[in-house]
Amino acid sequence: MERQIMTRISSQAEAAAATGIDRHHPQNLVELKNIDKVYPNGTVAVERANLDIAENEFFCFVGPSGCGKSTIFNMITGLTEHTGGELSVLGTESKEARKENEIAFVFQEPTLLPWNNLLENVSLPLKLRKVPKKQRHEEGERVLELVGLKDYTKSLPSQLSGGMKMRVSIARALISRPKLLLMDEPFGALDEFTRQSLQDELLRIWSQDQRMTVLFITHNVFEAVYLSSQVVVMTPSPGRISDVIQIDEPFPRGENFRVAPSFSQYVQSVTSSLEH
Amino acid sequence: MERKQEERVGESLTLPNLSQSKPAVNQRSKMTEFVRRKALQILPSVTLFVVFFGAWELILRLADIAPFIFPKPSDIVVAAQGNWVNLLGAAQATTTGALAGFAISTVLAISMAIILSLSKWIEKSVYPYIVILQTIPIVAVIPIIVIWFGAGIQSIIIVVFLISFFPILTNTLIGLNSTDQNMKNLFYLYNASRFQTIFKLRIPAALPYIVAGLKISCTLAFIGAIVGEYMAGIGGAEGGLGQAITVAATRLETPYLFACGLTASLLSVTVYQIVTKLSERMLSSWHESEMK
Repeated sequence: MERQIMTRISSQAEAAAATGIDRHHPQNLVELKNIDKVYPNGTVAVERANLDIAENEFFCFVGPSGCGKSTIFNMITGLTEHTGGELSVLGTESKEARKENEIAFVFQEPTLLPWNNLLENVSLPLKLRKVPKKQRHEEGERVLELVGLKDYTKSLPSQLSGGMKMRVSIARALISRPKLLLMDEPFGALDEFTRQSLQDELLRIWSQDQRMTVLFITHNVFEAVYLSSQVVVMTPSPGRISDVIQIDEPFPRGENFRVAPSFSQYVQSVTSSLEH
Repeated sequence: MERKQEERVGESLTLPNLSQSKPAVNQRSKMTEFVRRKALQILPSVTLFVVFFGAWELILRLADIAPFIFPKPSDIVVAAQGNWVNLLGAAQATTTGALAGFAISTVLAISMAIILSLSKWIEKSVYPYIVILQTIPIVAVIPIIVIWFGAGIQSIIIVVFLISFFPILTNTLIGLNSTDQNMKNLFYLYNASRFQTIFKLRIPAALPYIVAGLKISCTLAFIGAIVGEYMAGIGGAEGGLGQAITVAATRLETPYLFACGLTASLLSVTVYQIVTKLSERMLSSWHESEMK
């Protein structure tokens, strides 16, 4: 699918204002306006973060440890409260947005229930919503097929490799057909071969979905450039969004993009932005 | 670990299903292999058993020590055969008391641990008193139990309960409080209710700890039953092994005393093995502690 790259973040708000689009219309799935997060001990985790995230985008957050990437995720999911500014998720407060079952999560660890088989694991979000067993198992089989694991429905997590466990974790996130998928360094612990294979699978799934927005945290600049439509560069002490770089390359992407001169230029651009 | 690696399914999705690629194994040779493996497993403990009791018998025969001072294994067997009916009745009474007390402490300790884990406030206010209760010597408590509830099986069950309650409670509580934070976040983010988080996450995740508590307590239950019978039991066939030991000691029937002690140990080991099998059944598919 050819995906038109959206205009730069700063111009999104202007365009929205010019066309009279309601700020809280779900077209902007997430809006951060001067968001601060200061912990009780005085540590400033995030300072004046501004970001608008539109539908059907792939945002990668890149930056060194302690720059506030995970804190921004935690604020979006409602795991932690922001201490300043305005945060809108799906047009409402983050805790309320979570209750609409339109947000899904993938952690760095696969976080699978080791006593449950794969089908039970991926259908967990539906089970917690008390969806009937037959329906949730049908959905479970659908998402396991989506990540290439339909033959392993009865397998236990302990029988799988690290890469396969992460596929299951992604499948579990996809089962509720989320509008917003948050992924916190999901491929950080995987070897390079598995990582690249999962990057391609993730892009394939995202391209097919047509409506899902992905927010993806990584330390890896190459991964950020390869995956995203926009790279959010963050710097530490205090955590700030220092730049948002648009990756103006069409999807689907593959090996050709990894070796293209433009790929190196984007990597260089993100890297130099990180160094400033 | 090696075996686990072998069992892992390959990363490539084009790999054939492992179950399809396995060669057909001859049923008989599989059985022989199983018997051989089992025999090898129990061989060390059987050898030690034979060496230990053989040496015991031999040394006492050579030293010519009187059986009422230190009986030989053969004296113990003869004493057990001679008092077979009494020994069996006593063993039955002890088993009843121990298992009843163990069952009650299992149910109450796990329930109490769940309640304590629901709120740090409850845990901090109640747990210290449970610890204090545990530190009071049981021999000081038994006379009070007898005064309140009278001598007999009811007091013995209470003694067993008091002895076996604490390890299950402590282990279960540690297990419930050790749930992986990411897992808890996951349940929170998927809007799980407190009830769902407890029953679908925290209790299953705490199972290895609960089982560890049960393993400790099931052997303590027999010690509790015998101590209870010793101090709060009634005479006769219903007195249990504790009473039988008291009677044998006062009559200097040392071989029978040994027979009672060994019977108690055998019962305790049997129940321990049952709990261990239960643990294997529940955990072997997913927890490191029971994976072969």
